[in-house]
Amino acid sequence: MSTIALSINNKAIGPIETSDDIMMIEFLHEHLNMTGTKFGCGVGVCHACTVIVDNEDGTSESVRTCINGVSRFNGKKIRTIEGHAKENEFGEIIKLSPVQETFIENFSFQCGWCTSGFVNETTVLVERLKLMPIHVSEIETVIDKALGDHICRCTGYVKYYQAVKELILATEGLTRS
Amino acid sequence: MSRFDLSRRSFIKQCVVGGVAVYSAPMLFNAGKANAAMISDELMEQWKGTGKPKFRLDGVAKVTGQKIYGRDYRAMDMDGWPDTQHYGFILRANKADHRFEGIDLSAIPENAKPSQVITAATLNDAGIKLPVFFGDKMLLEKGQTPDYLGHAVALLIFNNFASFKAAKTRLQFSDSAVIYGEKTPLTSESKDPLASWRIVRSEGENGANGVDNYSTLSDGLFFPDYVDHQPVWPTEGDKSGSTGQRAIYYADQMAQQMDEEDWFIFEQDYQTQSIEPMMMEPEAFNGWFDRASGTLHTVLTIQSPHDFYLQAGEMIEHSQYKDQITKLVVHSPFIGGGFGAKDHSIFPYYGLMASLLTDKPVHIANDRFEQFQSGLKRHPFKMHHKLAIDKKTLKFKALISNMQIDGGGRLNFTGSVTMVGASALQGVYYLPQNDITAVAYSSQNPDCGSMRGYGTLQSMSSMEMMVNESAEKLNVDPFKLRLANIMQPGYRNTQGAIPNGALRYQEILELAQKHDIWINRQQKKQQFEANNPGKKYGVGFGIVTKDYGTGANAPSTQVSITKQGKIVIRLASMEMGTGTDTSQGTLVQQYLGNMADEVFLGEVTLWDVMKLKETDSPYFISQDKQDEMEKDPRWTPVIAMASSASQSSYFQSHTTSIAAKIVFEQGLWPAAIEIWRTQFFNNDHAPADFTDVNNAHWVDGKLTAAGYPPLSIDILAHKAHTMGLVTGVMVHAFNRWSWAESEFVIEGKSNKLAIDALALQYGSGASDSKQALMGKSGYHLLDRTRVSYPNTSMNHAMVTYYAPCATLCEIAVQEGSGEVEVLATHTWLECGRVIVEKLVEGQIEGGLVMGLGHVLHEYLPLGEEGAGNGTWNLNRYQVPLAKHVGVWNLTHTILPPLSESDPTKGMAEVVMIPIVPAIVEAVYQAIGTRFYHLPISKKEIKKALS
Repeated sequence: MSTIALSINNKAIGPIETSDDIMMIEFLHEHLNMTGTKFGCGVGVCHACTVIVDNEDGTSESVRTCINGVSRFNGKKIRTIEGHAKENEFGEIIKLSPVQETFIENFSFQCGWCTSGFVNETTVLVERLKLMPIHVSEIETVIDKALGDHICRCTGYVKYYQAVKELILATEGLTRS
Repeated sequence: MSRFDLSRRSFIKQCVVGGVAVYSAPMLFNAGKANAAMISDELMEQWKGTGKPKFRLDGVAKVTGQKIYGRDYRAMDMDGWPDTQHYGFILRANKADHRFEGIDLSAIPENAKPSQVITAATLNDAGIKLPVFFGDKMLLEKGQTPDYLGHAVALLIFNNFASFKAAKTRLQFSDSAVIYGEKTPLTSESKDPLASWRIVRSEGENGANGVDNYSTLSDGLFFPDYVDHQPVWPTEGDKSGSTGQRAIYYADQMAQQMDEEDWFIFEQDYQTQSIEPMMMEPEAFNGWFDRASGTLHTVLTIQSPHDFYLQAGEMIEHSQYKDQITKLVVHSPFIGGGFGAKDHSIFPYYGLMASLLTDKPVHIANDRFEQFQSGLKRHPFKMHHKLAIDKKTLKFKALISNMQIDGGGRLNFTGSVTMVGASALQGVYYLPQNDITAVAYSSQNPDCGSMRGYGTLQSMSSMEMMVNESAEKLNVDPFKLRLANIMQPGYRNTQGAIPNGALRYQEILELAQKHDIWINRQQKKQQFEANNPGKKYGVGFGIVTKDYGTGANAPSTQVSITKQGKIVIRLASMEMGTGTDTSQGTLVQQYLGNMADEVFLGEVTLWDVMKLKETDSPYFISQDKQDEMEKDPRWTPVIAMASSASQSSYFQSHTTSIAAKIVFEQGLWPAAIEIWRTQFFNNDHAPADFTDVNNAHWVDGKLTAAGYPPLSIDILAHKAHTMGLVTGVMVHAFNRWSWAESEFVIEGKSNKLAIDALALQYGSGASDSKQALMGKSGYHLLDRTRVSYPNTSMNHAMVTYYAPCATLCEIAVQEGSGEVEVLATHTWLECGRVIVEKLVEGQIEGGLVMGLGHVLHEYLPLGEEGAGNGTWNLNRYQVPLAKHVGVWNLTHTILPPLSESDPTKGMAEVVMIPIVPAIVEAVYQAIGTRFYHLPISKKEIKKALS
């Protein structure tokens, strides 16, 4: 057993005692009842279970929760799909993040099971480009590299990729000509 | 007398079912406990955009991670359920050639032992067995040989997640958890074929659209005897004999012609592989048998909740719990992809069994290994085709085909998949005579079901491969060969039926052969290979046409409008990602001037208002029986349909449109006339001259006619309610390749409608007599005064609704690795009238990519090395990634409809097929080697190149 404490979507969780063999996605689902992070394969291939870990140096990274035990996240700041949109005082979602907006307006997903992984990975990408803009000619290559491991079974990826490209081009400071 | 000593149907009538999804999900979701949020009305309202959807109706919920899928739910989320729950683990055999002798749980630590171990003996004691559809041996008894790899042998129940996890970790890949005895033959070796079909047709003297000498449509079906588990067909042909003898007569005649005539004969074997549907959400189940109230609660992840509803009733009825259960509650939330794998899956019945046998809520959820091991698969086909072509005219003269289909170890939809695969073989081509035999066999492999394509992917792709290769051997342009043989409107298919509507194959072919990829293929090959040493360039093309529907479609819709003008739609369909809620919510705009405010899916018992009853299989009922039964205004051939077979866009739209139209004509339109007449017209001095409904037009969401002031929907709805007009309509329809038509008297006038049941709701201002008609149910159920169902002989047509699709692709093959790089694709699709273009585009793109998986990447070996052994996952099974599919160069053309009256055709399956033969041909054009089995692996390409 291990005792862990972490921050998820700016809420402090723990200290809480968990079994050492519990994966982070199981902790989210079974201990916190947060099921927006999706279980796809359980072996780290499909990336549906990706969440964001915010590092102390201001950078962020995407991490798969199905192959990483909960103890890996001890002391970390985590963002999950449930933490991106803005809510009003009644807990109602009133405003989506730019990544979420571009995905719904481009009809990027169908069944939606892979969407939380794509939202988190794209969010990390966009935040990285804010710090390190790329040349416009690199956009497609950068998207290929960032999202290339994520599996979507419904859409053929086209509308995800187009949406991300559209967002990068439309967001000031992400590209240089 | 037992409370459960009832007919199945009357049991169902007693049930209280909350079939819910989308916006009803919050109804079953206890938000306070689950750390999730609701969506504000203002944000949701934006989905309507300006005249076309700005985003999917379910878009916000999905992109924010709301609890909307069946797998998301836990007991604590369910209102009224206990907070704690059990976790179930199904132990499965990974051998099918040894006797099962028991289980060994000694590897589980003491603190993680299961609280219950459910075996076949437990089920026998409790009288629990599978619904008939799924066969027997729900759990394998000791001493028996498993029917297939992955056959369930026990269900272990754990009190908490920690013990479940600890035990599963030790058991799942253990060699000792399941104890095997002596080696035995496979049980499949002692079984008769699962299905046998033979489709013979001989064109008559008046040609393609004249009367046939013989066809399944005109003469009926015939079936073989089984000897030594092999089909034995009639051997003696007789032109004047039985159906089978007549078929053999014409089949023999054709075979003789093929031997004697100076035709080009192309003969080849083809083979397809076992495929995992790999929907992203593995199957899951939540259930709780609340013994105190006699209520059995279920939360499902399936495409066919109504069928679960019926079959769960069947299972309960035979169990010892039938006296204890008075209510069955079925929650059917969104599902994370289906592709047919969640249509009539056996999985939820294991959940139901667990719920019956445990004292707390129970959660069973496949991980991906378990889903590979136990989920439905696409049927592998082995085919031998012989095609005859006139060397001068290039016309196809005859086709003989023998197909062997692997149905797996438990019968599911193998019979109909085999039939549809056989009937689809002809693709877009006309064949004056054919003899197509398709036989499905049992095996030790996981059971195969209705996976996307339903057999047509396998057969039609092989036809296209034949056409491409035949063109080369005949030294003719493949487009020329195709254009010489395409079906024309009015021509008969291989079953002798005339496909419905215009067949726009020629239009698609003419567009494709003018495309840059095709025109420049030779020049580009030279340039590309010169500029890219080590790579080979190739172009390929395929065109197919896929049926949609089942020949027994039974959609239901309710459309209502609130007094405040909110449009609410309730559907039987499920939402598995295709956008049914969005398309149906958009569709009503045509009649109601506005898109829906709410769409509820997966409704099950709502339709009980129509009091419909079914008696026989719609596929096998006799004409006499149908003629007799249809006199009963409550009878219908089929009550409900699953969300499958590309059905929602055409079939579900049919009832949604009719319901919305009635709401308009009987509610909003007379309300508008009343407002215009009393407020904007000299009503006391002249009769109103604006009552012709043909003048009605919705402009910017408001209704106007003949120049009268536009009225908003809230004003119209308020008036309709106040006047007691029709404000809600529920309809049911039936389609057997044609719609049933009925007459109903509405407001004193007879209306002929393409439905077979109708119920109305009137506004609050309705007269006492009208209120009385609605009664307790809240609906006025009308009796049809006349009905005309499509003849039962249409069953022999097998299919007549088609949507065509073609794909042109250019690829590069890396000589070093054998890897195929998709450079670009262009797809042409004819799907009639498009409801939501973005959704259609999504299907085109996603379908193509799934087809790419089939032709290049996805493969499961058969037998002990295959999925049934429980060790398969995405680390070994390659589904296409973005880098595999030419993601930036995947384009399409959707043909415009002939007119606004075109049907909204089903197209979710056809879009995945033409890429398969196109890639096979492109690989050949690139490296000079033809492949006849799928997938084409890198290793094989590399070997061919060496």
